Amino acid sequence: MEARPAYYDLLSRLFIGEMDPETLRKIEELPNFKELFPTYYSWEERQKRSRSRLIDEVLNVDYTEIAIMHLIPYESFYRRDDGMIESGGANPVVQIYNNFGFRVDLDRARVVSPDHIGVELEFMKLLTQAHEKAEAHGDREAVRALAREEREFLRNHLLQFAPLYLINVAEQARTPFYRDGAKLTLEFLLEDYEYLNRVEL
Amino acid sequence: MSFLESRRNFLKGSAATVATLTLSKGVFTAIAQANPRQEELSFTNTPKTLSFYPSLEEWDSFKELDGDDWKRGGIDRKGVQSEENPEGIYVNEYIIVPTVCSNCEAGCGLTAWVDKKSMVVKKYMGNPLHTGSRGRNCAKGYGTWSQMYDPDRVPFPLRRAPGSKRGEGKWVRVTWDDAMKEIGAKIRELLEQGDEEARKQFIYHVGRPNENGFGARLPHTLGFDGYDSHTNICSAGARQGSIQWANDDRNSPDWANAKLIFLQSSHAADAGHYFQQSAGYIADARKKGAKLVVIDPRLSNSAGMADLWLPLWPGTEAALYLWLANRVLNEKGKNGEDLVDHDFVRNWINWKKFMRNREYLNFIKEKGYIKKLPKDESYESFIELLKELYAPYTTEFVVKECRIEGQENKLEELWEMFIDAGDRIATYLWRAGTIGHRGGWMNTRTGFLALALRGALRGDIGGVSWHHWHKASVNGKWFKAALSNGKKPPKVKVWNEYPWPPEYPLSTYEMSFLLPHLLMDEEWKKKWRARGFKIPSRLKVWVPRMYNPVWINPDGFRWIEALKREDLIELSFNLSPTWSETNWYCDFVLPTGLAGERHDQQSEPTKPEKWVAFRQPALRVALEKMGWKPKDPTRATLEAHMKAGLGEIWEEIEFWANLMVHYVDPDGKLGVKQYWASKEDPTRAITIPEFYQAAFSLLPNLKKAAEAAYPKSKYPCYEFMRDRGAFTEETNIYKPQEREVQFDGENYIVHGHKYPKDEVIIDEDGVLWVDHHGHRKSIGVKIGDKIYQGFHTPDKRLDFFVDWMVDYRWPEYAIPIYPRNEGERKEMVHIVTQVHHDYLKGDNEFALNTIYRLPYMIHTRSVNSKHLMEISVNHNPIWIHTSDARRLGIRRGDKIRVKIVDTVSGLESGYFVAMAVPTEATRPGVLACSHHAGRWKLKNAVDIPGFQHKLGVLGLGAPLYTMTMDGKIGKMRAREGIDKGLKRRPETWQFKEINKDLEHIWWDGLTGAWQNAVAPVHPDPIAGNHAWHHKVVIERAKPTDRLGDVYVNYENNFKIYQAWRDKLTRPLTEEIKYRRPMHMPRPAVPLSEEAYRNPMYKGREGA
Repeated sequence: MEARPAYYDLLSRLFIGEMDPETLRKIEELPNFKELFPTYYSWEERQKRSRSRLIDEVLNVDYTEIAIMHLIPYESFYRRDDGMIESGGANPVVQIYNNFGFRVDLDRARVVSPDHIGVELEFMKLLTQAHEKAEAHGDREAVRALAREEREFLRNHLLQFAPLYLINVAEQARTPFYRDGAKLTLEFLLEDYEYLNRVEL
Repeated sequence: MSFLESRRNFLKGSAATVATLTLSKGVFTAIAQANPRQEELSFTNTPKTLSFYPSLEEWDSFKELDGDDWKRGGIDRKGVQSEENPEGIYVNEYIIVPTVCSNCEAGCGLTAWVDKKSMVVKKYMGNPLHTGSRGRNCAKGYGTWSQMYDPDRVPFPLRRAPGSKRGEGKWVRVTWDDAMKEIGAKIRELLEQGDEEARKQFIYHVGRPNENGFGARLPHTLGFDGYDSHTNICSAGARQGSIQWANDDRNSPDWANAKLIFLQSSHAADAGHYFQQSAGYIADARKKGAKLVVIDPRLSNSAGMADLWLPLWPGTEAALYLWLANRVLNEKGKNGEDLVDHDFVRNWINWKKFMRNREYLNFIKEKGYIKKLPKDESYESFIELLKELYAPYTTEFVVKECRIEGQENKLEELWEMFIDAGDRIATYLWRAGTIGHRGGWMNTRTGFLALALRGALRGDIGGVSWHHWHKASVNGKWFKAALSNGKKPPKVKVWNEYPWPPEYPLSTYEMSFLLPHLLMDEEWKKKWRARGFKIPSRLKVWVPRMYNPVWINPDGFRWIEALKREDLIELSFNLSPTWSETNWYCDFVLPTGLAGERHDQQSEPTKPEKWVAFRQPALRVALEKMGWKPKDPTRATLEAHMKAGLGEIWEEIEFWANLMVHYVDPDGKLGVKQYWASKEDPTRAITIPEFYQAAFSLLPNLKKAAEAAYPKSKYPCYEFMRDRGAFTEETNIYKPQEREVQFDGENYIVHGHKYPKDEVIIDEDGVLWVDHHGHRKSIGVKIGDKIYQGFHTPDKRLDFFVDWMVDYRWPEYAIPIYPRNEGERKEMVHIVTQVHHDYLKGDNEFALNTIYRLPYMIHTRSVNSKHLMEISVNHNPIWIHTSDARRLGIRRGDKIRVKIVDTVSGLESGYFVAMAVPTEATRPGVLACSHHAGRWKLKNAVDIPGFQHKLGVLGLGAPLYTMTMDGKIGKMRAREGIDKGLKRRPETWQFKEINKDLEHIWWDGLTGAWQNAVAPVHPDPIAGNHAWHHKVVIERAKPTDRLGDVYVNYENNFKIYQAWRDKLTRPLTEEIKYRRPMHMPRPAVPLSEEAYRNPMYKGREGA
């Protein structure tokens, strides 16, 4: 259970922006790295280059393909009939963020709207962190309320588009890093949703 | 679902170890609510609706949060800036002044957002009241802002330094009055001399005018035949075909409602004429299901997104159009119905005139166009004749002629789209195909034939009409406010052979690109003087206006040679907002305003309506609204620009009016002052409110709306347009030729004129004729029992058969036609492109396509915008098809010499060195290199004696070159790129705050060569336009060659000009009475019948 914020933390970082050597190092040094990124782990290209070269020459090129140029990691793109990204205040996730007193710093996130998959995953991290704190304080009511919010957010937002997007990434990414990352994310989301449905609310 | 099979139980066991990390970016911030003050409540971070523009009522004072700060958290977090809250978001207070873009010809609306505190324009946006552009602009519109604050803009009038020669680059600062005094004296000299030659020694040479009628009035009020447009290097080929069909300058499509968008070249959808507006309407049509066809050797942006791209061999498009005509005529529809729109063709095509002319029918039979004469003069026999005439344009023929072997299926697709669209086919046959080639004008003749047969030229919804029904021109109609009290100047009585030489009687527009050649061609002058033409030996005054012929015209070294000759051009001054290659060789550079710094009325046929727009100096209007008053109301624009710190930037209307009133004809004795002095106060020039009150009041709907909106104003029409910037006089103008001629029982009434019925003769074709100053003029046409106003041709119909082509000795081209085999191509060379594949034999011989526009650049006009330069000039390689590149062993980035060879004389012009880029975006055999790049300058900056700063020269857009020329050979080599030049020039001083990013300029501009210098002139023998494309021979560059190198044998280029003129034209003869058909108006200056007369004419009077 205590791993949930950390997973959301990792997965959010995967999709919110290009990789950087420090983050990649941290990921590669995870004890269960091999399990989380099995094909990337044994990918020979990874052995041929330094982390920075790997990032500059391969991973970031792939990131551009799967998150900027060809695939569109925004909820509204998948859900609106006209395929447009809702970048204004009418985006439904804005109201949810507002309710929790959060605002997305779009400049920092370098995204055009707050329903980017990386932002939504980070929002889940914030909820699960709060959830964890509530557990630690033994506040059952808060725990239940947060778990409900998490389940609603997953059901009404992330799971409405992320599976489609992630399957696309898994199929179209050129590097095992993002293919593994997409599968990891999808599997985690589905499992977390099942978990939330199992727990007593 | 493999995803589900491999579930890894993240929430249990070892998988949970990621818990040790913190990786996410932290993009959420907590909301810290600021306490909004009462006045801040008008701002919100989450508006219920998004509107890009405030309502008109707010334009004089509109408050807007500063954009950058808004992104960092909005007012909820920071509040609005005030003394108590210095960290809050800054609020701009704007006066929003409407104006009109002046980069391309489309005339899209702009609004200048003038910051009231600093009197700086903070941004240019669109004008939502402009119904053509609908509040939208392309990059060039928004680029107006960086053009305005160009660090190298010319800040005050400059004069060539006394004692220096033209081109030495030595300049002194003068006042506008100094300049006007010298120029005025020179013009006065001509007026005082007053004879025929004197009236041909002034030429006002206009780049893209972007106004409707003022320019033509300048020489007109002086009594001079002295107007040169740039049109013959631009679009005259297309216009020739339109004039032949409809006596109308160009067509006007209804894009938005078409079912087929039929484009030749990328024009309209991604670059050319009226593009931003047209592209929007084309997008609207496609949203409704319209198909898009692009015929272009190059994969333009439009072609890339089209339903069908047809990369024909350039210049052979007419073959395709006649193939369409053939199929429409000779095939049946799905239900066996005729595909010809007989109702339209029978009523509105001039077939009767054609069928009656037995002599002509015999002529085309002898030519082999038809095998037998029609059995009678009936419509049915006409259609039978057409079927025979166009039967040879088979699929097999067109595939071979247009070189589209292997793409036959595309022809079938085209055919289906063409027929499915019915009469809703919209096109704008323009630029590349029509101006690139000798005989390019036949594209319009043949293209419109195919459309006419389908009824698409009826001008109905989704089809094609003609331009002048869709625009309103009043910029030359100010005389009601002038001392002349409404009286226009009389028609000019002389004919100037420099713009209109006797070799080109049918030229669509002025032969302006031959000006230096003709001025330097003593043999030519001698030859025609001997035949009675009074050709002056020189020009006394040459005035380019926002024009840069040295760079943009072909044969640039010839221009430089002529401009340097003070014995050929005594005085020259460029009314130009920017430095240019041409300015360098002028006597004065007089800085006039850009899009937001001058007055013009502009209206363009971008849709089936009449919109008018008003270009204005934004700073002047803002200052006046804030209570500022000029010392001299006739110079308000100049004073306002000085007051606001823009520089001594003026505008033309005020300049010319002051020049004429105070320096050319101060006492009124020369008859000029009356047109430029104010009726209100004849001692001074006309003011802008007076001028535009007179002009705009001629539009009845505008006048009505203005008087209702400003009931107490002295100048309601001016104020109405000053505040709105645009008005739509009329909408939904469809089938205008079917407007009826009114008859009141006694008189026929057309355009407000009454013609008594006894004086009207109706001929056998139903055309109504009246006597008009000794000439016949048609006023309408009877079809069935109705009398319509008809088209603008003398016979009031669309002219399939153009009889005046026969009169002017071009009978074989008086109907839409195209040679059918190599023999005919030799014989009919006048309508065969100079880059036809017949002429390309060697492995390394190509056709060079040079004239496609780039969507973010506009010829020579946008060199002063850092924004536009950044997205355009970084690279201009030469495109070569991958198969050609492979064959010749050329790789991406290789330097190649591109040698231009003339196919008429066989002479070589020289070469330029370009960077090759193999691509499949051009067709095999055809290279592409836009001639919109390759600017140059000879000095980075100039010193002005007594002025503390150096004046930078074209710092944002032109690399530094060295030039040598000896009268025969010209050479150029780049010395320094744009980036380096700017870095060496920390002294850049103008608009420092806006230009603090100059150190980031990274582009060097070195991959574009000045190819126009190498290009010889190719004057089309009939339409007169320069045919831009070239036959080129390419080879690998020599080791010492550099990109951008230019080597020109301009002595050869002179011989090429002579060859095209002497081998291809059919000049005036003693049998031809007029220098040009009388009904075919000269585009600018109105001339008297006397001026039209051919001095050689030996025929009888009245013929």
